[in-house]
Amino acid sequence: MSDTMTHYERMRAAWNCEVPDRVPYMPMTVYFVARQGGLTIKEFITEPEKFLKAALDGLDFIGDAQHPALNTADHMWMLGHAGWDMTTLDWRIWDEFPPHGNLPSIYEKVLIQDYDDVMERGFSTILFSTALENNIHERSIDDFLYYQFEHTKVWSSVWRRFYDETGIPILIGGRAEHPLDLLQSYRGISQLVTDMYTMPDKVLEFSYWLADYEVMQASREAVTMGAGELPGAENIFFYNGAPPGMPPDLYAKLYIPVAKKMIDAWVARGFNVWCHFDNDQTPHLEGLAGFVDGLPKGRVLLDLEKTDMKKAKEVLGGKIAICGNVPSTLMVYGTPEEVDAYCKKLIEDCAAGGGYILGAECETPWDSKRENVVAMKQAAEKYGRY
Amino acid sequence: MGKVSDGIAALDAAAACAAVRADLERGRDPMELIDEARVGLQEVGERFDAGEYFLIELIRASQVFQETADLINPKLTELYGRGESRGKVLIGTVAGDIHDLGKSIVKVLLDCRGVEIMDLGVDVAPPAFVAAVRDFGPGVVGMSALLTAAIPQFRTTVEALEAAGLRDTVKIIVGGGTVIDLDAAMLKADHVASDANAGVDVMLAWLDEAGGASAAN
Repeated sequence: MSDTMTHYERMRAAWNCEVPDRVPYMPMTVYFVARQGGLTIKEFITEPEKFLKAALDGLDFIGDAQHPALNTADHMWMLGHAGWDMTTLDWRIWDEFPPHGNLPSIYEKVLIQDYDDVMERGFSTILFSTALENNIHERSIDDFLYYQFEHTKVWSSVWRRFYDETGIPILIGGRAEHPLDLLQSYRGISQLVTDMYTMPDKVLEFSYWLADYEVMQASREAVTMGAGELPGAENIFFYNGAPPGMPPDLYAKLYIPVAKKMIDAWVARGFNVWCHFDNDQTPHLEGLAGFVDGLPKGRVLLDLEKTDMKKAKEVLGGKIAICGNVPSTLMVYGTPEEVDAYCKKLIEDCAAGGGYILGAECETPWDSKRENVVAMKQAAEKYGRY
Repeated sequence: MGKVSDGIAALDAAAACAAVRADLERGRDPMELIDEARVGLQEVGERFDAGEYFLIELIRASQVFQETADLINPKLTELYGRGESRGKVLIGTVAGDIHDLGKSIVKVLLDCRGVEIMDLGVDVAPPAFVAAVRDFGPGVVGMSALLTAAIPQFRTTVEALEAAGLRDTVKIIVGGGTVIDLDAAMLKADHVASDANAGVDVMLAWLDEAGGASAAN
């Protein structure tokens, strides 16, 4: 049976919890495509034209499920350039992929010494922290302004060309993080845990303060990327990676309300919100279901990593579209047959009635076997027909 | 269970520390107190295994335990000197990875059970593991990673220990979010831990079996 929808139409139908022609396939293949294209990590992040070529080459094996998303505007935060929030984190970036280099990594430190001081005087209080050690304050103002404002336009130009040439939507326009995720980087996991138990109200107050900034920053990026003109740029990628293993009471008090405020703010401005969740969210599914309370249909997607997807479908089905869960280790160490079997089971568990997108757990690892990525794509086509 | 262990099990640092101070003032044997604190942390571990407690609560419990231990240890040293070690464990996050949450939890859980620990930190190259095994003489080596990109480093590190003639002197356990589905044999390790608590149980069993000496001897 042939496809009757475009990739974008299929994705939108799934977001709307409607039944598309088949299950959409949406792995996050950013590092994978760069690696396959022979790029270094720095080239892939800083040279959009080179990444565009890698993405076009990737059409041969990924087809219309290209995922330029994380390489749009805000991925530059990995260089510590874009945005005051990410500028003030201690990111390290290597030239090469492992084993000679490493993926961009963040070194957790207690960069925020005093919540009130930062709320009163802003991120510059962190920028000049001696604990930062990445000498970001030594960068020129021209350099900073370029990456803060101009580089986004370069990415935007490149991805508009990608769309013009391929007709494939870019899927994501802007990117933001949950404040607690950022706080794990600013305070370190150990100190953040202490804070959550000893001063939860201050953590919540700071989270709301930071949420406003994240909402503004991601909205600006999405507009620059072409929201309203370029299909997919209207989606905000809302990253929720940490802290892992929060108990339900803390989650309900510190996580959910802040996330809900951010989601509501984006939707009110006309954006859709792609909520990406690391870790196992199974204990929190009822809370996540509340993300769409009071919102029009089809504005929120939950992209879940290690969550029980069958349970997620039971709790969220018909309310919020879900995505994700094909394990990273399977993509790197498994066989195409094993990937096929895993995807088949996921589709059986989650696809009924629509609202499901086949995707990788977190992102498709850079060192995934190409045949496994292809197997995932083919599984969606083979088992995902409605 | 007493007030100290109850406080730790309830993640209530103020209550646990108040109970420790009161007991010390009353002249309670600090050895009893530290044992009771360990019971509290053990209770948290059991609740974690049962799915009643979450990872953040395990971290918090280790913090509360540490606060009580900081109060108890000076008195313990004063009366008994340095206690006997249950064995030595060397831990580190392998080269190419900087995640240290799981490793840090393991460190506290081992520490409270009387294990002598050397923590090499994160992004630890194989030669550093080899040098530390030679110098520290652990019975167990624990390696951690979260990134799939770092997984090959487990095997590389084990092979470095083999090349140095040290592999048979240690038991090797690996852990981390992405490795739990992998076979130990593939990584040339002796065990893959499903979580921090389970990994600690395996390490303690190895150390006890070896009588506090090198676990593989």
